[in-house]
Amino acid sequence: MQLKITDLNKTYGNGVHALKDVNLTINQGMFGLLGPNGAGKSSLMRTIATLQEPDSGEIFLGDINVLTQKDEIRKTLGYLPQEFGVYPKVSAINLLNHIAVLKGITNATERKNIVEALLQKTNLWEARKKNLGGYSGGMKQRFGIAQALLAHPKLIIVDEPTAGLDPAERNRFLNLLSELGENTVVILSTHIVEDVKELCSDMAVFNKGEVLFKGSPDEALSGIAGKVWTKRIRKDELNEYKANFKVISEKLIGGNPVINVLADQNPDGTFSPIDADLEDVYFSKIFLQ
Amino acid sequence: MLKEIIRFEFFYRKNRPATYIYFGILFLLCFAAVTSKYVTIGGIAGGQIKENSPYNLAFMTIIMTFFFTFIASAIMGVAVLRDFEHKTESLMFSTTMSKFDYLIGRFLGSFIIMVLIYCSIWLAFMTGYSIGKFLPWDPSWKEKEMLAFDAWSYFQPFIVWGISNLFIQGAIFFAAGALSRSTIVIYTQGIILFVLYQVSDTLLSDIDNKTLSAMLDPFGVRAFSIFTEYWTPAQKNSQIVPLGGVLLWNRLVWCGLALLILIGTYYSFSFNVVRNTLFKRKNKKEENIEKIKPELVKIPSAMQFSGFATSLSQMWTQARFYFRMVIREVPFIAIAFVGVVQIIVDSFYFDKMYGTSSYPITANVIGMLDGFDMFFLIIIVFYSGELIWKERISNIHLIIDATPVKDWVNLSAKFIGMMLINLSIMLLLILMGVLVQAAHGYFNFELSLYFKSMFTSTLSFVLLYTLLSFFVQVMSNNKFIGFAMMFVFFLVTFFLGAAGIQHPLFMFGSGRLGSYSDMNKFGHFVTSFSWLKLYWFSMVVVFFVLSVVLSVRGSESLMKTRLKVGKLRLTKPVLTFGIFALISTLLTGCYVFYNTNKINKYQTREEAEKEQVTYEQLLKKFEKLPQPKIVDVNLKVEIYPSTRDFTAEGYYWLKNKTDQPISDIHIQNDVEHKMKLDYLKFEGGAKANRKYEKQGYIIHTLNKPLASGDSVKMSFKTIFETKGFVAGTSNTNVVYNGTFFNNTYFPSIGYNNGYEIGEDDTRRKYKLKEKERMMEQNDPIGLSQSLFGDDADYIRFEMVIGTEKDQTAIAPGYLQKSWEEKGRKYFHYKMDVPMCNFYSIVSAKYKVKKDKWVAPDGKPVSLEIYYNKGHEYNLDKMMSSMKSSFDYFSKNFSPYQYRQMRIMEFPKYADFAQSFANTVPFSEGIGFIQKISDPDQDLDMPYYVTAHELGHQWWGHQVAEANVKGNAMLSETQAQYSALMVMKHAIKPAMMQKFLKYELDRYLRGRSSERKKEQPLNMVEGQGYIHYQKGSLAMFALQDYIGEDKVNLALRNFLKDWQYPGPDSKNKRYPTSNDLLGYFKAQTPDSLKNIITDMFETITLFENKTEKVEYKALKNKTYEVKITTSSEKFRADSSGNEKPIAINDWIDVGVYGEDIKGEPNLLYLQKHKVNKKANTFTIIVKEKPKKAGIDPINKLIDRHSDDNTKTAEVAEKGV
Repeated sequence: MQLKITDLNKTYGNGVHALKDVNLTINQGMFGLLGPNGAGKSSLMRTIATLQEPDSGEIFLGDINVLTQKDEIRKTLGYLPQEFGVYPKVSAINLLNHIAVLKGITNATERKNIVEALLQKTNLWEARKKNLGGYSGGMKQRFGIAQALLAHPKLIIVDEPTAGLDPAERNRFLNLLSELGENTVVILSTHIVEDVKELCSDMAVFNKGEVLFKGSPDEALSGIAGKVWTKRIRKDELNEYKANFKVISEKLIGGNPVINVLADQNPDGTFSPIDADLEDVYFSKIFLQ
Repeated sequence: MLKEIIRFEFFYRKNRPATYIYFGILFLLCFAAVTSKYVTIGGIAGGQIKENSPYNLAFMTIIMTFFFTFIASAIMGVAVLRDFEHKTESLMFSTTMSKFDYLIGRFLGSFIIMVLIYCSIWLAFMTGYSIGKFLPWDPSWKEKEMLAFDAWSYFQPFIVWGISNLFIQGAIFFAAGALSRSTIVIYTQGIILFVLYQVSDTLLSDIDNKTLSAMLDPFGVRAFSIFTEYWTPAQKNSQIVPLGGVLLWNRLVWCGLALLILIGTYYSFSFNVVRNTLFKRKNKKEENIEKIKPELVKIPSAMQFSGFATSLSQMWTQARFYFRMVIREVPFIAIAFVGVVQIIVDSFYFDKMYGTSSYPITANVIGMLDGFDMFFLIIIVFYSGELIWKERISNIHLIIDATPVKDWVNLSAKFIGMMLINLSIMLLLILMGVLVQAAHGYFNFELSLYFKSMFTSTLSFVLLYTLLSFFVQVMSNNKFIGFAMMFVFFLVTFFLGAAGIQHPLFMFGSGRLGSYSDMNKFGHFVTSFSWLKLYWFSMVVVFFVLSVVLSVRGSESLMKTRLKVGKLRLTKPVLTFGIFALISTLLTGCYVFYNTNKINKYQTREEAEKEQVTYEQLLKKFEKLPQPKIVDVNLKVEIYPSTRDFTAEGYYWLKNKTDQPISDIHIQNDVEHKMKLDYLKFEGGAKANRKYEKQGYIIHTLNKPLASGDSVKMSFKTIFETKGFVAGTSNTNVVYNGTFFNNTYFPSIGYNNGYEIGEDDTRRKYKLKEKERMMEQNDPIGLSQSLFGDDADYIRFEMVIGTEKDQTAIAPGYLQKSWEEKGRKYFHYKMDVPMCNFYSIVSAKYKVKKDKWVAPDGKPVSLEIYYNKGHEYNLDKMMSSMKSSFDYFSKNFSPYQYRQMRIMEFPKYADFAQSFANTVPFSEGIGFIQKISDPDQDLDMPYYVTAHELGHQWWGHQVAEANVKGNAMLSETQAQYSALMVMKHAIKPAMMQKFLKYELDRYLRGRSSERKKEQPLNMVEGQGYIHYQKGSLAMFALQDYIGEDKVNLALRNFLKDWQYPGPDSKNKRYPTSNDLLGYFKAQTPDSLKNIITDMFETITLFENKTEKVEYKALKNKTYEVKITTSSEKFRADSSGNEKPIAINDWIDVGVYGEDIKGEPNLLYLQKHKVNKKANTFTIIVKEKPKKAGIDPINKLIDRHSDDNTKTAEVAEKGV
């Protein structure tokens, strides 16, 4: 099964052009959607999750038309929104049970089994009877993934799942994701490059509503292999460098900026080569846009 | 710092558009109220009370504070809450400002804004009244002379009531918002304020609760009404309502409470972001279970179902989920609780008459439970908003919306959840009803009736409003705008009605089941109720389908997107369902329209008024035309209760009593009840010369003119037909069980001035001259006709009534024969003496109680009460009242003229009893179910009403009065006197005093809202508060002053001269009140003649007050009591302008001791001459005095009857 997105466009009422001619074909497996905040990732994901209407374009999952056969898609969909809340006065097990009913798991025994299993899987078993209002951010996020996994979805969309998680929580969370079956389309949107690096076999870089790159992380890396150079400079030199070189990223190390520059060869000989990683791919794509 | 915070708050509000919107709405509403005919506030102006009178301005200002509650909650409630909602509290609380500055600053800043917004009210009033006349539309007072502008009458109420109410509301909402940090608690606060107001109203059904009631109302409306309840129109037009008495106390109590609340808020407000919870949660110990290794957990498979059955089960799960969620909400519990408390308070007071309650029969209890409707509305409006927004507020909507649930399931689940809530409240109410009955010691719980009422009328009400509110919430797509739209919707519905759009097809949720009558059950109301509800139900289903199609699912809420997605949702089943509902709406709408407008006539109020105008303009010229009189009535009436039809066929004999021949006979058909005259013909032939079809007025020219003294037989058949159902109030006279109508349904002779518009304000609207209510006492036309009209003097009467087999039909006269024919039952009645042209026709399923009274001359009189099974409670009391009444009246007035007296119960659609010749129809609502639990505490109303109606057999039927001013003093006032005397000999003096206290209160309140002019008793113009209430007081005082025997002698003499009066009698006319006064005067010594002047001929008020009562013990076991009093006397004109007059009256002075039970008993009661204001009386009594005073049992008309006595104190030094 494939998710095929064709010529998707969306402009919001306030003039923001959230999706510009997006074309993507996503195969089974983990797909990383990388882009800065406000790139349009969430718009794209909500559109796939039947929660938003594009102005034009088509989305097909296999032969299901996502835009018109919403109910069909929803049956096979697991969706974890970027930000979500819970009913504060309801316990995790009750809410999960409730959502399971909504997902169509009407057999009480089966529902009980899957709900319990998911709570165990997401390590919420001990806190299952606690009201969700008392959950920490990580627990809530795990609850989110538990509900997304109800009913063995064929299409899983997780939108920025690791934002706001501490490193340990994040690891646990990514582990969970990685266990998902092979025959599922999983779309993971994130602005954290590490997430994609660790999990995804396929990825796209997305900014200002446009797909800047699509391919496997390896392809992405090979595209800029040997073209990224780094240098530590003084603060007052920063503007000058930015004017003269393709500075794709900058960060402070020990109080001084370290810049990464994109160039076919050492720009002025003072730079040192580095092994490009996905972050550089990401920044270079955005820079080049 | 404080100043800065006030400024900050002030400027924050200043820059909010809402502030200006509030101002604008209030201004427009008030402006419309004073300049248009359709919007009114308070509705007390009109008639004599000028629209711009200080009283009306003050009242409108107070009423507007009700509306202002909404604004106050929005402004004051969020003054602090805002910081929590916007999560800026951490920023705020970490600055250097003190808690005092923060709280008081926020409070004052918002308060100033509220006061400024409230200024819109006096601004609107002022501009409205100054430019109203120049507007393109007509204000209701356009043709009226208004009072001169007086700025203080606008500002004084603004300052005294307006600002104080703002402060009280402000403090309460501010505290609620600051302490609870939750919006809905603020609203709940508001509801509690309204309930206090309502409760204060309920308490008032016992007049001893006035002070308590005045204190309880936080808005001060009740205190205002009580303080000014006896104000005459003249006072209302000229005086500014001062801050005094209960008003001052009310303001002090509530402002004080508000201040305490503010202080309390200061101390309990926590300046920390995280609060300590009120209740420490117990830490539950989790049992240690074996550690689970998440990696090893296998997720089992689960079948995913879809389809209709799944949808249903999903819907049900969700519905229960929402239900549980709401019923655990504290505000929900609070609202329901408050509603229940209100009903409990009501249950102590229901259906009170003169302070006596009724039995809590289920029909009554159901009426009481309807008091919860307001709370249903509040719950529905709030919680449908909450439910629609539940997912989005919790921010879980994206997860829920992405589940494979059909679009209709979620909304339907919310609807069912809401209905589960409503249903559980309904069950709770039924339980409450039963408990209330049990608590009253009444155990005949008609559970099926509870369910029938709750699950028809209440259920449809909550269902319609729930779906409407859902629709509004979905379409507005903003919870608060949704609330606001619902509020606007209520206002618009209300004003649409006032603006003349009253057709039930336009009034949302119309179709009333009416109040349940034990006799007629829900009667014919069921039909129109069912069709209208079906119509509305279909319509809200259409709304619901629209809501489903257009509801927001996902993250986008633009209408454009919703329409686009909506198209996808219009699946075949949804579309079919929607179209089906739409067609059903249209069809039922058409059917209703067909019933109300096609087979029945629909008229708006204005159209009806215009017809009255046309009638007057067209036919008034015939009013004084000499016409023959009816002398004989012989009719056969066929009643068909189950189709609510009847026909009457037979004849009148008309006699020319004038000295001229008459050739034109004017016949008025009863158009008011839409009677259809099948034929009407005269013996000897006549030609229908002129027909005024619309007015039902036909002039017949006899072939041979009717010579003076000759008679002609007029035969006719008239038909009353019920077709389908009507838009407005349906006919409740001809019903399934309990038909009661009278001869006004039959053709009458000549112009009927009763069809004219009576109200002067309305007449002015149509440019008609103001109308005198009655003819002058010397008007020969008035003197030649009786109160029963100009159609007849006395008639011979015979009637055959046919009705359905299980019913008994009754008319005046004696039953000649009764038989069955063709499955129907017939009764033949005949009166053997001439009687007034006033007869009733009654038919119902009856039980009978029979007894007998033997007249002093040995003539037996059979006494019968025809009652509805189950209403046996007071039959014995009514029977004994009949006997005592006949004893007293026949001994003191004259012999009873008939051989029979029948009381017939009729359904409670009207609350009266009425005396016809030897028959008295008596409403089931006023006496049959009254509960007299303690004769020493409760006034026996069935006893009193029976005596009053029997009195009319003399006063009305033996002596019919002339149709001129003062007439009711002969019938109603004398019937009151008769009943009072029967009561006086049957109950304790204290109970008599209680009765008279109610009469005094009702008289004084009645005159304060007189619309035209208050008349003295002898000139009364159909004013109930005068001929009943003042009449009781005057007659009781008269018999007290000159003696019961003397009054009875006067009445006996009057009867001797005036029995069966009329143009054919020896006096050649009917008597007037002044004729009777002559007989009273003849029995009154000169020293007491002023009683008659004061009580009967003028409007005179006393102001008696006891200043001090001291006593000391004397040697011979007696006590010397010294009573210091003041007495004033006033005379009022017809609008209530008073001037003091010299006092020179005999007034009671009384001293009370205490009997063994601790009850007060009179030790001394004597009349003393009072001829100056300040007086001192020294009286020796044999027992220890408790209290004493002047006019202690309130025989005189006195607005402060409570200050007449005072507790006795021991004299410090010798008296």
